[in-house]
Amino acid sequence: MKFPPRITGVAIITGLLLSSYPSYAQSFFVGDQGKLLLTSGFSDLEGSGGGGLVPLAFITGYGTQDSWGANAHFTDIKLRDYSLYTFGAAAGLFDRVELSYTRQHLDITGTVLDHLTVNEDVIGAKVKILGDAVYGQDHWLPQLAVGAQYKHNDGISNAAAAGLPGLTSPTQLGATSDHSVDYYVTASKVFLGESLVINAVLRATKANQFGLLGFGGNRKSGYSVDPEGTVAYLLTRKIALGAEIRSAPHNLSVDNESAAWDVFAAWAPIKNFSLVAAYLNLGSILAPVTGVTRHQDGLYLSLQAGF
Amino acid sequence: MSMLQPRAIAFGTSLALLLAARLVFAEATLYERIGGEPKLRATMDEFVTIIVADDRINFAFADTDLSKFKQLLFEQLCAITQGPCRYTGRDMRTAHAKLNINNAQFNALAEDLYRAFDRVHVPYRLQNKVMALLAPMQKDIVKPGFAPGTQPPPANFR
Repeated sequence: MKFPPRITGVAIITGLLLSSYPSYAQSFFVGDQGKLLLTSGFSDLEGSGGGGLVPLAFITGYGTQDSWGANAHFTDIKLRDYSLYTFGAAAGLFDRVELSYTRQHLDITGTVLDHLTVNEDVIGAKVKILGDAVYGQDHWLPQLAVGAQYKHNDGISNAAAAGLPGLTSPTQLGATSDHSVDYYVTASKVFLGESLVINAVLRATKANQFGLLGFGGNRKSGYSVDPEGTVAYLLTRKIALGAEIRSAPHNLSVDNESAAWDVFAAWAPIKNFSLVAAYLNLGSILAPVTGVTRHQDGLYLSLQAGF
Repeated sequence: MSMLQPRAIAFGTSLALLLAARLVFAEATLYERIGGEPKLRATMDEFVTIIVADDRINFAFADTDLSKFKQLLFEQLCAITQGPCRYTGRDMRTAHAKLNINNAQFNALAEDLYRAFDRVHVPYRLQNKVMALLAPMQKDIVKPGFAPGTQPPPANFR
């Protein structure tokens, strides 16, 4: 296979540069793992660096501003009639830019919609704009980041088993689209003197149930701006306990979507591994359709491995 | 309405008493709460042992007089936690000017200090209070700009 000369030239020069600084190259490829434990955040259910439900202004990975880090995650959520698992990978570059990809798979395990499945892809990007949540202990300025998540609903499957053959897209439930972009601003700060982490988010979104029920709807088709927040207490260097709340638009008449919330415990024994366990409550889901009005709540478990 | 008044009065009085108590009984300084001189000296002993064994940063102390360093760090921590000390060393910017320390190395030292506090059993929430006072020094110790790798500086550094 012939390589164009320009690309070959760039490749050779890059290779020479990297090989002439072997120690730099080694640490660059592996990442300096220089951040303090817990300060890289975890993977939220859309794959962005954060808690469980809500993104943080932290850039994922343990690489400091001179390096990078990356991780992969797997999250399992079991609610009363809905099971969701997500898996994906994310990278943080120079403690400045975060990129992530996550695949979400929803299984409806109860109600008349039993056996229905939904898939979704989320591609995320986040940029730290200013501030440092950890070092900035002598002033009020938080760490500020802006992010976007391109969400693509990959369709509904197995609807025939639920007695709804032909249901393949959330647009058939009233959603105006099967893809959209969320935009958010997040401000996070660690108050080390109180062992507290506080985070506030404003998100512009059209997503119904995170996009699993499409985007926009018969009640509202445009963007809503919704607040989210996190409070966490640093119990030890390796354990944080917290709570999150995330409000959502109410675009569909087939779903009385309300705010989701959780209480969590996050454990990072080493920089290469973390576990988040939470009690998650999403409120009722698709109550007008299923007749089931009870809150969909249950266990959230997320594993993250990386550097 | 008449039900509310006794309750409101009781609440108000308790709050006033609490505030008065806080003013009358001055809170112990952070220095005292972490254990004062014996605890801080013990922390410094552990800390030096830990950093000497930490390959991420021990090379930066290769030519350092460790007992003098220990004394200066003790003075600094004692002073910032409102202990009865005066820091007699150079300011942070001058002291670190030629060392090309990056965030990874700054954090490594912070981790080692956390570990030292652990070894002498200072409670974590008090450790964080000390670190909250040290964290702002990052901007004087770590120069802005890209500093790739956490490599031993060249032999002629200093």
